[in-house]
Amino acid sequence: MSGNGNLLDVSGLNVAYGESKVLFDVGLTVRPNQVVACVGRNGAGKTTLLKTIVGFIKPTSGTVTAVGANLVGLTAYVVADMGIKYIPQDKKVFSDLTVRENLELGSYASKDYEWDKVYDYFPKLKTLLDRKAGYLSGGERQMLMVGRAILGHPKLLLVDEPTEGLAPSIVAHLKDVFREIAKNTALVIVEQNLPMICAIADKIYALSEGHIMAEITARDQIKPEVCEKYL
Amino acid sequence: MSLVRWWSGLVVAFALLALLRVYLPLPFAIEIMIFSIYTIGCSFLLGRVGFISFGQPAYLAIGAYATAFYLFYFGTNPIVGILIGVAAGVLGSLAVGPLLVRLRGDYFALVNLALAVIIYYLMQKVLADITHGDNGLWYLTNMSPTPVLDLTRPDQFFIFAFAVAFTVWVFYKYLDDSIYGACCLAVKVNEDKLRFLGYDNFKIRLFAFVIANTTTALAGALYAVYLGFVSPEITSPARAADPVVVTILGGAGTLYGPIIGSIVYTGMKDIVSKVIGNWELVVGFTLVFIMLAGEKGIWGTLEPRVSRLVARVTGTPSNEAGQ
Repeated sequence: MSGNGNLLDVSGLNVAYGESKVLFDVGLTVRPNQVVACVGRNGAGKTTLLKTIVGFIKPTSGTVTAVGANLVGLTAYVVADMGIKYIPQDKKVFSDLTVRENLELGSYASKDYEWDKVYDYFPKLKTLLDRKAGYLSGGERQMLMVGRAILGHPKLLLVDEPTEGLAPSIVAHLKDVFREIAKNTALVIVEQNLPMICAIADKIYALSEGHIMAEITARDQIKPEVCEKYL
Repeated sequence: MSLVRWWSGLVVAFALLALLRVYLPLPFAIEIMIFSIYTIGCSFLLGRVGFISFGQPAYLAIGAYATAFYLFYFGTNPIVGILIGVAAGVLGSLAVGPLLVRLRGDYFALVNLALAVIIYYLMQKVLADITHGDNGLWYLTNMSPTPVLDLTRPDQFFIFAFAVAFTVWVFYKYLDDSIYGACCLAVKVNEDKLRFLGYDNFKIRLFAFVIANTTTALAGALYAVYLGFVSPEITSPARAADPVVVTILGGAGTLYGPIIGSIVYTGMKDIVSKVIGNWELVVGFTLVFIMLAGEKGIWGTLEPRVSRLVARVTGTPSNEAGQ
């Protein structure tokens, strides 16, 4: 944790793909056990922001400080090893591996073989352990990805559009799970489902064309209709 | 998985191979054993890690020449020669691996092919003073009989090669079932995602590269002892596609694909070449047919059916259950 009590501190972040600049002086902070949401239209730079934080994209300038260390220049696996996990948007699991093997990959990397908490959140996974992950439904894949990521008690979990394309019942379940996870882990969630994210977020950043347009922290302002104004 | 179930496939496969020996000429059976070991490394790289390598003759030659140098210049014990061949395989893979595993797809395949060409010309021309160029190194009569199994006698060499092959397959089955095997498949399918979990993909690839090419060097060392002779032909670029063809024939990344591919390929080579000169044509058409039939090779196509059959007989669920 940095001196100001923030778990994650992003400041003056600029990112470009070649000549095309994607993020402009982006800054955000996350405190322990906080749920922070990033909302914005497609192409706003939300996914780029998450990928830059986890070391997958190198910024042109700016700082990313988390758990007391500067993350800029570190590779993605070193960042993950520090307890900062990223769940990408694509819901692609390791399809040739079974659910058990997928979880084992998470366990081996984080040295955490305690799967009971995964089963507590997602009891269905327990019945699917021997099934190839390629045969799972979209919701089951998302359960597997979240379950795998929470192994090792990460300090910070970055989740990219977790509810995209999922049935309302699964979205409701994920909402409850994220609430539970946030009791021990800070969350940064990129999401377009405003009712869902407003129900669990402590702070919302609205992004548009690579700029932070608003930082909404007041509880009574975290509402879908308020967020929509910035989209 | 129960211990019995873990071993049953291996035991059945090698019992069938031993049975095959009764009906096959000895040289053919030995060729299948060594060629299977030669191919399993390539199969592991292609099927598990996603590396297609046309440079396997380079690593075959490293093992074969290291063994041959020892048996020609320094010693007479074939077992020591094989161990030196394996050690050379480890060192050779570690020397080039850190550079090559950074490459992907076509680049990896072609740079490995270039390595095979370099080694071919090194052995044929540059190092001709010690390799005797195209004449090769002959040391069949230098080799001393070894205790328990005399490797200078083909019938006992077959038993040794059979035991080595069985050990290699046990090792690869263990790898397949281990978390490292899962890492290899994961790095092939989605390397970024594996990195997000905290894995260093470079180390995973390098380890796979060293394992696969050391196995290939072991096959080279076995060839060197069996033939009592090594020439640059062993690393001929013209034969660079052989292990890839056998891998695809048998089923890339499958445990028993290399054995089945070796039997089919060596069989076609032996039988068809007696009838027509251009046996490669038959292999080519067979390969096209197999690719069109299912893209998974012979064992890759049969395996799910066999698994379902075994699951039905033993009453255990298969992975696809409930899809």
